[in-house]
Amino acid sequence: METRSNLERLLSDGRFVVSSELGPPQGADKAPILKKCENFRGCVDAVNVTDNQSAIVRMSSLMVSAFLVQEGLEPIMQLTCRDRNRLAQQAEVLSAYAAGIKNLLCLTGDHQKSGNQPDAKGVFDLDSTQLVHTVSEMNEGFFMNGEPIKPPPRMFVGAAANPFAEPFQMRIWNLRKKINAGARFIQTQPVFDMPLFEKWMRAVRDEGMDQDCAILAGVMPVRSVKGLLHMRDNVPGMRIAPEYIKRMESAADPKEEGIAICTEIMKMLKEMPGVKGIHIMPVMWESITRTLVEEAGLLPRPAVAMGVAA
Amino acid sequence: MKAFLKKFALFVERHPTLYKGFLIVENLIKKPVFNCQSCGQCVLSHNAFTCAMRCPKQLRNGPCGGTRPDGTCEVYPERPCIWHLIYERSVKLGREEKLLKYHVPVDRRLEKKSAILNMWAGRIEGMSMSRKLKEGDDKPKSHAPAER
Repeated sequence: METRSNLERLLSDGRFVVSSELGPPQGADKAPILKKCENFRGCVDAVNVTDNQSAIVRMSSLMVSAFLVQEGLEPIMQLTCRDRNRLAQQAEVLSAYAAGIKNLLCLTGDHQKSGNQPDAKGVFDLDSTQLVHTVSEMNEGFFMNGEPIKPPPRMFVGAAANPFAEPFQMRIWNLRKKINAGARFIQTQPVFDMPLFEKWMRAVRDEGMDQDCAILAGVMPVRSVKGLLHMRDNVPGMRIAPEYIKRMESAADPKEEGIAICTEIMKMLKEMPGVKGIHIMPVMWESITRTLVEEAGLLPRPAVAMGVAA
Repeated sequence: MKAFLKKFALFVERHPTLYKGFLIVENLIKKPVFNCQSCGQCVLSHNAFTCAMRCPKQLRNGPCGGTRPDGTCEVYPERPCIWHLIYERSVKLGREEKLLKYHVPVDRRLEKKSAILNMWAGRIEGMSMSRKLKEGDDKPKSHAPAER
Protein backbone atom coordinates (compact mmCIF):
# COMPACT_ATOMS: atom_id res chain seq x y z
CA MET A 1 0.00 0.00 0.00
CA GLU A 2 1.28 3.47 -0.89
CA THR A 3 1.61 5.73 2.08
CA ARG A 4 2.29 9.43 1.82
CA SER A 5 5.61 9.15 3.52
CA ASN A 6 8.48 10.97 1.89
CA LEU A 7 10.81 8.27 3.16
CA GLU A 8 8.83 5.61 1.37
CA ARG A 9 8.74 7.64 -1.82
CA LEU A 10 12.52 8.06 -1.82
CA LEU A 11 13.03 4.35 -1.17
CA SER A 12 10.66 3.31 -3.92
CA ASP A 13 12.45 5.74 -6.25
CA GLY A 14 15.59 3.76 -5.49
CA ARG A 15 17.33 6.62 -3.68
CA PHE A 16 19.85 5.84 -0.96
CA VAL A 17 18.29 7.38 2.13
CA VAL A 18 19.80 8.88 5.27
CA SER A 19 17.98 9.10 8.57
CA SER A 20 19.12 10.41 11.90
CA GLU A 21 17.83 10.51 15.42
CA LEU A 22 16.60 13.13 17.86
CA GLY A 23 16.19 12.47 21.55
CA PRO A 24 13.38 14.56 23.07
CA PRO A 25 14.39 16.82 25.98
CA GLN A 26 13.90 15.96 29.63
CA GLY A 27 12.33 19.36 30.29
CA ALA A 28 9.04 21.03 29.53
CA ASP A 29 10.39 23.47 26.94
CA LYS A 30 10.10 23.22 23.17
CA ALA A 31 13.10 25.43 22.39
CA PRO A 32 15.82 22.73 22.58
CA ILE A 33 13.93 20.67 19.99
CA LEU A 34 13.79 23.55 17.55
CA LYS A 35 17.50 24.08 18.06
CA LYS A 36 18.25 20.41 17.42
CA CYS A 37 16.11 20.48 14.28
CA GLU A 38 18.62 22.81 12.62
CA ASN A 39 21.23 20.04 12.79
CA PHE A 40 19.13 17.91 10.47
CA ARG A 41 17.69 20.38 8.01
CA GLY A 42 18.76 19.55 4.48
CA CYS A 43 21.18 16.79 5.44
CA VAL A 44 18.89 13.87 6.26
CA ASP A 45 15.67 12.54 4.75
CA ALA A 46 13.98 11.57 7.99
CA VAL A 47 14.55 11.89 11.71
CA ASN A 48 13.75 9.23 14.29
CA VAL A 49 12.15 10.55 17.45
CA THR A 50 12.91 8.26 20.34
CA ASP A 51 10.27 7.11 22.81
CA ASN A 52 11.58 7.43 26.39
CA GLN A 53 14.84 5.89 25.24
CA SER A 54 16.76 3.78 27.73
CA ALA A 55 13.64 3.99 29.90
CA ILE A 56 14.28 7.59 30.94
CA VAL A 57 11.30 9.95 30.98
CA ARG A 58 11.31 12.58 28.26
CA MET A 59 8.85 14.56 26.21
CA SER A 60 6.64 12.12 24.31
CA SER A 61 7.70 10.93 20.88
CA LEU A 62 4.26 11.76 19.49
CA MET A 63 4.42 15.42 20.47
CA VAL A 64 8.02 15.92 19.42
CA SER A 65 7.33 14.23 16.09
CA ALA A 66 4.44 16.64 15.61
CA PHE A 67 6.81 19.57 16.30
CA LEU A 68 9.13 18.18 13.62
CA VAL A 69 6.27 18.11 11.12
CA GLN A 70 5.61 21.78 11.91
CA GLU A 71 9.28 22.45 11.30
CA GLY A 72 9.09 20.82 7.88
CA LEU A 73 11.15 17.78 8.81
CA GLU A 74 10.02 14.22 8.24
CA PRO A 75 9.79 12.33 11.53
CA ILE A 76 9.97 8.58 12.10
CA MET A 77 8.07 8.22 15.32
CA GLN A 78 9.30 5.44 17.57
CA LEU A 79 6.62 3.55 19.47
CA THR A 80 7.57 1.11 22.19
CA CYS A 81 5.66 -1.63 23.95
CA ARG A 82 7.08 -0.84 27.38
CA ASP A 83 4.91 2.12 28.31
CA ARG A 84 1.54 1.45 26.70
CA ASN A 85 -1.03 -1.26 26.36
CA ARG A 86 -2.68 -2.05 23.05
CA LEU A 87 -5.42 0.56 23.51
CA ALA A 88 -2.91 3.36 24.04
CA GLN A 89 -0.75 2.14 21.17
CA GLN A 90 -3.64 2.21 18.70
CA ALA A 91 -4.61 5.65 19.99
CA GLU A 92 -1.06 6.89 19.40
CA VAL A 93 -1.13 5.65 15.81
CA LEU A 94 -4.38 7.51 15.10
CA SER A 95 -3.11 10.69 16.76
CA ALA A 96 0.22 10.51 15.03
CA TYR A 97 -1.25 10.17 11.58
CA ALA A 98 -3.64 13.03 12.23
CA ALA A 99 -0.64 15.15 13.21
CA GLY A 100 1.00 14.47 9.86
CA ILE A 101 3.40 11.75 11.02
CA LYS A 102 3.72 9.08 8.36
CA ASN A 103 6.53 6.83 9.50
CA LEU A 104 6.38 4.61 12.53
CA LEU A 105 9.10 2.44 14.00
CA CYS A 106 7.73 -0.33 16.21
CA LEU A 107 10.04 -1.34 19.03
CA THR A 108 9.85 -3.46 22.14
CA GLY A 109 11.66 -0.83 24.17
CA ASP A 110 14.41 -1.05 26.76
CA HIS A 111 13.38 -2.72 29.97
CA GLN A 112 12.44 -0.24 32.72
CA LYS A 113 15.15 -1.75 34.90
CA SER A 114 17.81 -0.20 32.67
CA GLY A 115 16.42 3.30 33.20
CA ASN A 116 16.42 5.71 36.11
CA GLN A 117 12.98 4.71 37.39
CA PRO A 118 13.41 0.95 37.70
CA ASP A 119 10.46 0.68 40.08
CA ALA A 120 8.04 1.29 37.19
CA LYS A 121 5.71 -1.31 35.77
CA GLY A 122 6.68 -2.48 32.30
CA VAL A 123 3.56 -2.99 30.24
CA PHE A 124 4.71 -5.18 27.31
CA ASP A 125 1.11 -5.93 26.38
CA LEU A 126 2.13 -6.57 22.77
CA ASP A 127 5.58 -7.40 21.47
CA SER A 128 7.19 -5.52 18.61
CA THR A 129 6.17 -8.09 15.98
CA GLN A 130 2.56 -7.94 17.13
CA LEU A 131 2.73 -4.14 17.13
CA VAL A 132 3.99 -4.14 13.54
CA HIS A 133 1.05 -6.34 12.58
CA THR A 134 -1.39 -4.15 14.51
CA VAL A 135 -0.26 -1.01 12.69
CA SER A 136 -0.32 -2.67 9.28
CA GLU A 137 -3.84 -3.86 9.97
CA MET A 138 -4.79 -0.34 11.04
CA ASN A 139 -3.44 0.78 7.66
CA GLU A 140 -5.85 -1.73 6.11
CA GLY A 141 -8.66 -0.10 8.04
CA PHE A 142 -9.14 -2.37 11.06
CA PHE A 143 -8.60 -2.01 14.77
CA MET A 144 -7.30 -5.06 16.60
CA ASN A 145 -10.82 -6.20 17.37
CA GLY A 146 -11.76 -6.10 13.69
CA GLU A 147 -13.87 -2.96 13.89
CA PRO A 148 -13.41 -0.54 10.98
CA ILE A 149 -11.33 2.63 11.21
CA LYS A 150 -12.77 5.55 9.25
CA PRO A 151 -10.60 6.93 7.83
CA PRO A 152 -7.64 4.64 8.43
CA PRO A 153 -4.07 5.87 8.85
CA ARG A 154 -1.48 5.21 6.16
CA MET A 155 1.67 4.64 8.13
CA PHE A 156 4.98 3.53 6.66
CA VAL A 157 5.76 0.80 9.19
CA GLY A 158 9.22 -0.17 10.27
CA ALA A 159 10.92 -2.32 12.86
CA ALA A 160 14.37 -2.81 14.29
CA ALA A 161 16.85 -5.63 13.87
CA ASN A 162 20.03 -6.43 15.69
CA PRO A 163 22.48 -8.27 13.43
CA PHE A 164 25.05 -8.53 16.20
CA ALA A 165 23.29 -10.30 19.05
CA GLU A 166 23.18 -14.04 19.59
CA PRO A 167 21.82 -16.38 18.31
CA PHE A 168 22.62 -15.35 14.75
CA GLN A 169 20.15 -17.66 12.96
CA MET A 170 17.33 -16.65 15.27
CA ARG A 171 17.91 -13.00 14.24
CA ILE A 172 17.31 -13.93 10.62
CA TRP A 173 14.08 -15.77 11.45
CA ASN A 174 13.00 -12.90 13.62
CA LEU A 175 13.46 -10.50 10.74
CA ARG A 176 11.40 -12.80 8.54
CA LYS A 177 8.63 -12.74 11.13
CA LYS A 178 8.65 -8.95 11.32
CA ILE A 179 8.48 -8.70 7.52
CA ASN A 180 5.62 -11.22 7.45
CA ALA A 181 3.88 -9.07 10.05
CA GLY A 182 4.13 -6.06 7.73
CA ALA A 183 7.43 -4.28 8.38
CA ARG A 184 8.39 -2.27 5.30
CA PHE A 185 11.67 -0.85 6.51
CA ILE A 186 14.22 -2.04 9.04
CA GLN A 187 16.73 -0.02 11.03
CA THR A 188 19.63 -1.92 12.53
CA GLN A 189 21.77 -1.46 15.60
CA PRO A 190 24.93 0.56 14.92
CA VAL A 191 27.56 -1.27 12.90
CA PHE A 192 30.94 -1.52 14.57
CA ASP A 193 31.76 -4.99 13.28
CA MET A 194 31.84 -5.04 9.49
CA PRO A 195 32.51 -8.77 8.93
CA LEU A 196 29.58 -9.76 11.13
CA PHE A 197 27.29 -7.24 9.45
CA GLU A 198 28.39 -8.54 6.05
CA LYS A 199 27.56 -12.07 7.15
CA TRP A 200 24.12 -10.97 8.35
CA MET A 201 23.49 -9.01 5.16
CA ARG A 202 24.46 -12.04 3.07
CA ALA A 203 21.96 -14.18 4.99
CA VAL A 204 19.31 -11.47 4.52
CA ARG A 205 19.98 -11.39 0.77
CA ASP A 206 19.98 -15.19 0.52
CA GLU A 207 16.47 -15.18 1.94
CA GLY A 208 15.48 -12.37 -0.41
CA MET A 209 14.53 -10.22 2.54
CA ASP A 210 16.34 -7.15 1.18
CA GLN A 211 13.67 -7.18 -1.55
CA ASP A 212 10.80 -7.45 0.92
CA CYS A 213 11.81 -4.47 3.02
CA ALA A 214 14.31 -1.61 3.00
CA ILE A 215 17.31 -2.21 5.24
CA LEU A 216 18.74 0.95 6.78
CA ALA A 217 22.03 0.16 8.45
CA GLY A 218 22.76 1.93 11.72
CA VAL A 219 25.93 3.88 12.45
CA MET A 220 27.00 5.81 15.52
CA PRO A 221 29.68 8.47 15.82
CA VAL A 222 31.71 8.26 19.02
CA ARG A 223 33.66 11.09 20.62
CA SER A 224 35.99 9.17 22.89
CA VAL A 225 37.35 5.72 23.56
CA LYS A 226 35.48 5.88 26.85
CA GLY A 227 32.18 6.14 25.01
CA LEU A 228 33.10 3.18 22.84
CA LEU A 229 34.12 1.05 25.81
CA HIS A 230 30.97 2.04 27.65
CA MET A 231 28.91 0.75 24.76
CA ARG A 232 30.88 -2.46 24.53
CA ASP A 233 30.50 -3.18 28.24
CA ASN A 234 27.11 -1.73 29.11
CA VAL A 235 24.94 -1.87 26.03
CA PRO A 236 23.87 -5.49 25.58
CA GLY A 237 23.75 -6.74 22.04
CA MET A 238 26.48 -4.39 20.80
CA ARG A 239 29.53 -5.77 19.06
CA ILE A 240 32.57 -3.58 18.61
CA ALA A 241 35.58 -4.74 16.63
CA PRO A 242 38.82 -4.34 18.65
CA GLU A 243 40.34 -2.51 15.71
CA TYR A 244 38.12 0.51 16.33
CA ILE A 245 38.93 0.59 20.04
CA LYS A 246 42.64 0.52 19.21
CA ARG A 247 42.24 3.34 16.71
CA MET A 248 40.32 5.48 19.17
CA GLU A 249 42.90 4.82 21.88
CA SER A 250 45.87 5.86 19.79
CA ALA A 251 44.19 8.83 18.12
CA ALA A 252 45.61 12.29 18.82
CA ASP A 253 42.18 13.80 18.37
CA PRO A 254 39.57 11.20 19.36
CA LYS A 255 36.72 13.34 18.03
CA GLU A 256 38.27 13.51 14.56
CA GLU A 257 39.02 9.80 14.68
CA GLY A 258 35.44 9.05 15.71
CA ILE A 259 34.18 10.98 12.72
CA ALA A 260 36.69 9.25 10.45
CA ILE A 261 35.64 5.80 11.65
CA CYS A 262 31.97 6.64 11.26
CA THR A 263 32.30 8.00 7.72
CA GLU A 264 34.46 5.05 6.78
CA ILE A 265 31.73 2.65 7.93
CA MET A 266 29.10 4.74 6.13
CA LYS A 267 31.03 4.55 2.88
CA MET A 268 31.37 0.77 3.16
CA LEU A 269 27.67 0.39 3.93
CA LYS A 270 26.75 2.54 0.95
CA GLU A 271 28.51 0.10 -1.36
CA MET A 272 27.06 -3.01 0.25
CA PRO A 273 24.41 -4.77 -1.86
CA GLY A 274 20.98 -4.78 -0.26
CA VAL A 275 21.58 -1.81 2.03
CA LYS A 276 19.03 0.86 1.09
CA GLY A 277 20.09 3.58 3.47
CA ILE A 278 21.90 4.65 6.58
CA HIS A 279 20.52 5.49 9.97
CA ILE A 280 22.81 7.75 12.02
CA MET A 281 22.45 7.58 15.80
CA PRO A 282 24.34 10.59 17.10
CA VAL A 283 23.39 10.15 20.74
CA MET A 284 23.72 13.61 22.34
CA TRP A 285 25.89 14.72 19.41
CA GLU A 286 23.30 15.74 16.84
CA SER A 287 25.43 18.64 15.62
CA ILE A 288 27.80 16.21 13.93
CA THR A 289 25.18 14.81 11.56
CA ARG A 290 25.82 17.25 8.71
CA THR A 291 29.58 16.67 8.80
CA LEU A 292 29.11 12.90 8.68
CA VAL A 293 26.67 12.99 5.79
CA GLU A 294 28.90 15.38 3.87
CA GLU A 295 32.10 13.44 4.43
CA ALA A 296 30.42 10.20 3.43
CA GLY A 297 29.53 11.85 0.11
CA LEU A 298 25.80 11.71 0.68
CA LEU A 299 25.06 15.41 0.18
CA PRO A 300 23.02 16.98 -1.27
CA ARG A 301 19.90 15.18 -0.17
CA PRO A 302 17.00 14.91 -2.61
CA ALA A 303 14.47 17.71 -2.33
CA VAL A 304 11.79 17.09 0.27
CA ALA A 305 8.25 17.06 -1.00
CA MET A 306 6.45 17.16 2.31
CA GLY A 307 2.92 15.95 1.85
CA VAL A 308 0.78 18.28 3.92
CA ALA A 309 -1.49 16.39 6.29
CA ALA A 310 -4.98 16.14 4.89
CA MET B 1 -13.08 -36.86 21.20
CA LYS B 2 -12.83 -33.14 20.52
CA ALA B 3 -16.50 -32.60 21.27
CA PHE B 4 -16.25 -34.65 24.45
CA LEU B 5 -13.23 -32.65 25.72
CA LYS B 6 -15.04 -29.42 25.00
CA LYS B 7 -18.07 -30.62 26.92
CA PHE B 8 -15.81 -31.73 29.77
CA ALA B 9 -13.99 -28.36 29.88
CA LEU B 10 -17.24 -26.42 29.94
CA PHE B 11 -18.56 -28.73 32.66
CA VAL B 12 -15.50 -28.14 34.85
CA GLU B 13 -15.76 -24.40 34.28
CA ARG B 14 -19.33 -24.40 35.56
CA HIS B 15 -18.12 -25.82 38.88
CA PRO B 16 -15.71 -23.45 40.63
CA THR B 17 -14.46 -25.99 43.18
CA LEU B 18 -13.77 -28.56 40.48
CA TYR B 19 -12.03 -25.89 38.41
CA LYS B 20 -9.85 -24.93 41.33
CA GLY B 21 -8.90 -28.56 41.87
CA PHE B 22 -8.11 -29.05 38.19
CA LEU B 23 -5.97 -25.92 38.16
CA ILE B 24 -4.04 -27.02 41.26
CA VAL B 25 -3.15 -30.36 39.66
CA GLU B 26 -2.24 -28.67 36.36
CA ASN B 27 -0.03 -26.13 38.11
CA LEU B 28 1.57 -28.82 40.24
CA ILE B 29 3.02 -30.29 37.07
CA LYS B 30 3.63 -27.36 34.76
CA LYS B 31 5.01 -24.91 37.32
CA PRO B 32 8.00 -27.00 38.43
CA VAL B 33 8.58 -28.63 35.05
CA PHE B 34 8.23 -25.64 32.72
CA ASN B 35 8.45 -22.73 35.14
CA CYS B 36 5.00 -21.83 33.80
CA GLN B 37 3.97 -18.18 34.09
CA SER B 38 0.23 -18.92 33.79
CA CYS B 39 -0.59 -16.97 30.66
CA GLY B 40 -3.40 -19.46 30.09
CA GLN B 41 -2.56 -19.83 26.39
CA CYS B 42 0.32 -22.21 26.17
CA VAL B 43 2.76 -22.07 23.25
CA LEU B 44 5.24 -24.58 24.66
CA SER B 45 4.87 -26.89 21.69
CA HIS B 46 6.21 -24.17 19.40
CA ASN B 47 9.06 -23.16 21.67
CA ALA B 48 10.83 -26.48 22.24
CA PHE B 49 8.85 -26.85 25.49
CA THR B 50 10.48 -23.77 26.99
CA CYS B 51 8.18 -21.08 28.36
CA ALA B 52 8.72 -17.79 26.52
CA MET B 53 6.77 -15.87 29.12
CA ARG B 54 9.78 -16.12 31.41
CA CYS B 55 11.32 -13.35 29.30
CA PRO B 56 11.25 -10.13 31.39
CA LYS B 57 9.61 -8.42 28.41
CA GLN B 58 7.27 -11.41 27.88
CA LEU B 59 8.26 -11.60 24.22
CA ARG B 60 6.38 -14.37 22.46
CA ASN B 61 7.69 -13.83 18.93
CA GLY B 62 11.45 -13.93 19.41
CA PRO B 63 14.28 -12.32 21.32
CA CYS B 64 14.80 -8.61 21.85
CA GLY B 65 18.02 -7.05 20.61
CA GLY B 66 19.80 -7.31 23.92
CA THR B 67 20.91 -10.93 24.22
CA ARG B 68 24.48 -10.91 25.53
CA PRO B 69 27.27 -12.70 23.65
CA ASP B 70 27.31 -15.46 26.28
CA GLY B 71 23.58 -16.01 25.81
CA THR B 72 22.41 -14.31 28.98
CA CYS B 73 19.55 -11.85 29.43
CA GLU B 74 20.16 -8.11 29.06
CA VAL B 75 17.91 -7.32 32.01
CA TYR B 76 19.11 -10.03 34.39
CA PRO B 77 22.68 -10.97 33.43
CA GLU B 78 22.58 -13.91 35.83
CA ARG B 79 19.76 -15.56 33.87
CA PRO B 80 19.91 -17.11 30.42
CA CYS B 81 18.11 -15.27 27.62
CA ILE B 82 15.09 -17.46 27.34
CA TRP B 83 15.02 -17.07 23.56
CA HIS B 84 18.62 -18.18 23.37
CA LEU B 85 17.59 -21.28 25.27
CA ILE B 86 14.54 -21.80 23.05
CA TYR B 87 16.73 -21.54 19.96
CA GLU B 88 19.30 -24.01 21.24
CA ARG B 89 16.70 -26.55 22.33
CA SER B 90 14.74 -26.16 19.08
CA VAL B 91 17.87 -26.98 17.10
CA LYS B 92 18.61 -29.95 19.34
CA LEU B 93 15.08 -31.29 18.97
CA GLY B 94 14.84 -30.51 15.25
CA ARG B 95 11.97 -28.11 15.85
CA GLU B 96 13.48 -24.96 14.30
CA GLU B 97 10.69 -24.63 11.78
CA LYS B 98 8.20 -24.01 14.55
CA LEU B 99 10.04 -20.88 15.63
CA LEU B 100 8.65 -19.15 12.55
CA LYS B 101 5.12 -19.32 13.96
CA TYR B 102 3.48 -15.91 14.46
CA HIS B 103 2.04 -15.78 17.96
CA VAL B 104 -1.02 -13.60 18.44
CA PRO B 105 -1.13 -11.13 21.35
CA VAL B 106 -1.92 -12.63 24.73
CA ASP B 107 -5.60 -12.60 25.65
CA ARG B 108 -5.30 -11.08 29.10
CA ARG B 109 -8.67 -12.52 30.15
CA LEU B 110 -7.19 -16.01 30.07
CA GLU B 111 -4.29 -15.27 32.38
CA LYS B 112 -4.16 -17.37 35.55
CA LYS B 113 -6.69 -19.78 34.02
CA SER B 114 -6.17 -23.37 33.02
CA ALA B 115 -4.44 -23.53 29.63
CA ILE B 116 -5.56 -27.14 29.18
CA LEU B 117 -9.23 -26.32 29.72
CA ASN B 118 -8.88 -23.23 27.53
CA MET B 119 -7.49 -25.50 24.83
CA TRP B 120 -10.20 -28.09 25.17
CA ALA B 121 -12.86 -25.42 25.21
CA GLY B 122 -11.46 -24.19 21.88
CA ARG B 123 -10.56 -20.74 23.13
CA ILE B 124 -6.92 -21.02 22.18
CA GLU B 125 -4.99 -22.77 19.49
CA GLY B 126 -4.12 -26.24 20.65
CA MET B 127 -0.76 -27.83 21.20
CA SER B 128 0.81 -29.28 18.10
CA MET B 129 3.51 -31.83 18.74
CA SER B 130 4.52 -32.00 15.07
CA ARG B 131 7.96 -30.67 14.16
CA LYS B 132 6.49 -29.13 11.06
CA LEU B 133 4.85 -25.75 10.97
CA LYS B 134 1.22 -25.74 9.92
CA GLU B 135 0.66 -24.03 6.60
CA GLY B 136 0.09 -20.30 6.97
CA ASP B 137 1.16 -20.29 10.60
CA ASP B 138 4.12 -18.06 9.82
CA LYS B 139 1.84 -15.25 8.67
CA PRO B 140 -0.42 -13.28 10.98
CA LYS B 141 -4.09 -13.31 10.13
CA SER B 142 -5.90 -10.21 9.01
CA HIS B 143 -7.91 -8.32 11.61
CA ALA B 144 -10.73 -7.93 9.14
CA PRO B 145 -13.88 -9.65 10.37
CA ALA B 146 -14.52 -12.98 8.67
CA GLU B 147 -17.07 -12.82 5.86
CA ARG B 148 -20.36 -14.33 6.83
